[in-house]
Amino acid sequence: MAEKELLKGNYAIAEAAVRAGCECYFGYPITPQTEIGEYLSQRMYDLGRGYVCAESELAAINMVLGAASTGAKAMTSSSSCAVALMQEALSYACSDEVPVVLVNVMRAGPGLGYIYPAQGDYTQAVYGGGNGDYKMIVLAPSTVQECIDLTYKAFYLSQKYRNPTMVLADGLLGQMMEPAVFSKYPYPEIDNSNWALTGAKGREGRKICSVAPSEEKQIEHINNLFKKYELIAENETEWEEIGTEDADIVLVAFGSMTRNIKAAAKVLRGQGLKVGMFRPITLSPFPSGRLNELSNHVKKFVVVEMNMGQMVNDVKLAVNGKTDVELINRSVGQWLSVEEIVDGVNKFIPAGVN
Amino acid sequence: MQVFKIPDSMKKGFKYTFCPGCDHGIAVRLVAELLDEMNLKEKSILVASIGCSVFLYDFLDVDSIEAPHGRAMAEATGVKRARPDKFVFTYQGDGDFASIGLAESTHAALRGENLSGICINNTTYGMTGGQHGPTTLIGQKTTTSPMGRFAETYGYPIKIAEHIALCKGTAYSARVALDTVAHINQAKKALKKAFQVQLDGLGYGFVEILSTCPTNWKMTPDQAHERVKNEMIPEFPLGVFKDVTENIDKV
Amino acid sequence: MEKNYIIAGFGGQGVLFAGKVLANAFMYSGKNVTWYPCYGAEMRGGTVNCEIVVSDEEVSSVHKQDVDCVIALNQLSFDRFITKIKKGGRIICNSSLIEEVRPRNDIEYIFYPMTEKATESGNHKLANMVSLGVLSDIETSLDKNIFERAVDTVLPEERKHLASVNINAWSAGHCNTLLAC
Repeated sequence: MAEKELLKGNYAIAEAAVRAGCECYFGYPITPQTEIGEYLSQRMYDLGRGYVCAESELAAINMVLGAASTGAKAMTSSSSCAVALMQEALSYACSDEVPVVLVNVMRAGPGLGYIYPAQGDYTQAVYGGGNGDYKMIVLAPSTVQECIDLTYKAFYLSQKYRNPTMVLADGLLGQMMEPAVFSKYPYPEIDNSNWALTGAKGREGRKICSVAPSEEKQIEHINNLFKKYELIAENETEWEEIGTEDADIVLVAFGSMTRNIKAAAKVLRGQGLKVGMFRPITLSPFPSGRLNELSNHVKKFVVVEMNMGQMVNDVKLAVNGKTDVELINRSVGQWLSVEEIVDGVNKFIPAGVN
Repeated sequence: MQVFKIPDSMKKGFKYTFCPGCDHGIAVRLVAELLDEMNLKEKSILVASIGCSVFLYDFLDVDSIEAPHGRAMAEATGVKRARPDKFVFTYQGDGDFASIGLAESTHAALRGENLSGICINNTTYGMTGGQHGPTTLIGQKTTTSPMGRFAETYGYPIKIAEHIALCKGTAYSARVALDTVAHINQAKKALKKAFQVQLDGLGYGFVEILSTCPTNWKMTPDQAHERVKNEMIPEFPLGVFKDVTENIDKV
Repeated sequence: MEKNYIIAGFGGQGVLFAGKVLANAFMYSGKNVTWYPCYGAEMRGGTVNCEIVVSDEEVSSVHKQDVDCVIALNQLSFDRFITKIKKGGRIICNSSLIEEVRPRNDIEYIFYPMTEKATESGNHKLANMVSLGVLSDIETSLDKNIFERAVDTVLPEERKHLASVNINAWSAGHCNTLLAC
């Protein structure tokens, strides 16, 4: 077992991509994820793998689409306002069933926003900013170690289901350092010889496209995509929960905010409140089933996020009116502190309870 | 004696869906003939575009992927970087290549990507019904320049082959037409060269093909070819604007 | 028990480097630790800083609103962070560049002429390492061996030869400073 080293989130993601077997990286700089492209420019060159400083994020994501259509593992990384530029290609990649891997290290929006961290791209990632009905797989790390583990997983899931997969990190995770270790890429290689573009040798030409020749075929295509999404939800939905068995209140967060709700839950337990924490690791598929189960005994869910309230809507849908769902949030910037979360939760408790 | 044969690189039982008199059909056939003659079918990956040119993947029996509008050269870059041993080419309209995709087209040429690009220039957006595009001629009436293109508001048409020739990574750039048999033969030679420079690893090979759009020009096929000769060629002169193999020969 | 530190100074004073050395030192001493820098445009035209959070358990918030201990290498950093220190917290100041004033009476001050001491120890640029020596007078779990290992980890390959001068500077801050304050 390798020893832990102090690693920056962006470098952890970049090196994990290399170790996952990423054959091509295409990218364009944007703070706070630029180190990914900087690191890979040398690393991929040394390894004789593909690297292009793309002319734009539009070009970068479409280069990934092209490379991945040949069965190669390929990736780009970017941040919020530039990931917005990539939405068209992600819609294509979902419909084309091409295993694109994309990392979004979120910064503040809307518009250009600013470089400090935020979680404002939840909806864009989970529901898609492109046209039509499609879903990406979205994984949300909360530590530098998970930046590695979930980058590995993104390559695996994207190949396994031929579906674009996003690692949704944030500026805090991208910029911070923390002890972590590169384990070996733990997943099997997926055989893609039955669909990848390799030249029509001894077979008919393959066509990867989203245009079906008739309405019936188009409906069939979309239905098949959604059957696949159901299968992904069944097999791959992942979450973490602590202290939920007896909890009256469950704090819910994703990404690096998870760290703060874990600590807040401990503080609140210390105050005598039965508080647990829950966080989706896969934002898409979202662990709605488990949240619904928990709502049988949990009296209140408190969603904590760095946006104006995005994931809170999915929690509400999951519990479907069975229990209260509250929001503690800030739009961008300074992460909500443990104290702010504790105070916020206490405000939701009517006087005299406990 | 066999006088006509459908190229092996065409899909079995295909039917053209182009409008009568459209030159796309000729261009596609030339590509298919070259894929046969140069033995490229089995190693080809086509990146298709948006517009009338998109249907190429329904006619050619090669591996193909669609690209979002304008992004064909970016996708082709990705394909080629992942699989340098494949023959990778795009087939795009002038709107796709030189308007929405000008950045991707230019930068692929600047990087000297080993790719072959084909751009059909018919001075209009054909698929959407004849709107003003980047190559629309001064004075030309379209549905979005009904008074005729005038430079004060609409600017000037782009000379694509000359533009691509300016890029240092370009190995070959030519403009051809399909209005006469002689021009068709020249076009095939140009395409062959644009393919060959890729195979030889010399860089970016590009051919702009002046083409007709009788439906949107509201002309008969003959009138449309007359227009190519009388209006388009004077503005978009035929010729080779860059050919690095000439220099290699001299050396 | 969780504690956070901010190291702040001019660009070029080795603030981020010192932060990484400190974070590695805590890691080698068996603690959980995070390091978080100010980044991008925030770094232009002013102070650079980074925050280190150390905990026996999993580190919670990586970037906190207040701070237990500040290491200020220049006056701007002192002025900026003096108000963010928790009651009962501490500021360790480079008195070569910071005026010895005590605007709050609910925190502890340590003034030490780090730039001077760095110069004496062999390199005037290493006030950052002197400050870590001062800090390890207080954080007694961090000894010289741990810092030697941490400095070796953080120095890039082409600068490994600078390890000893860095450790000399660290020593110039260590074991003397509490007498000086």
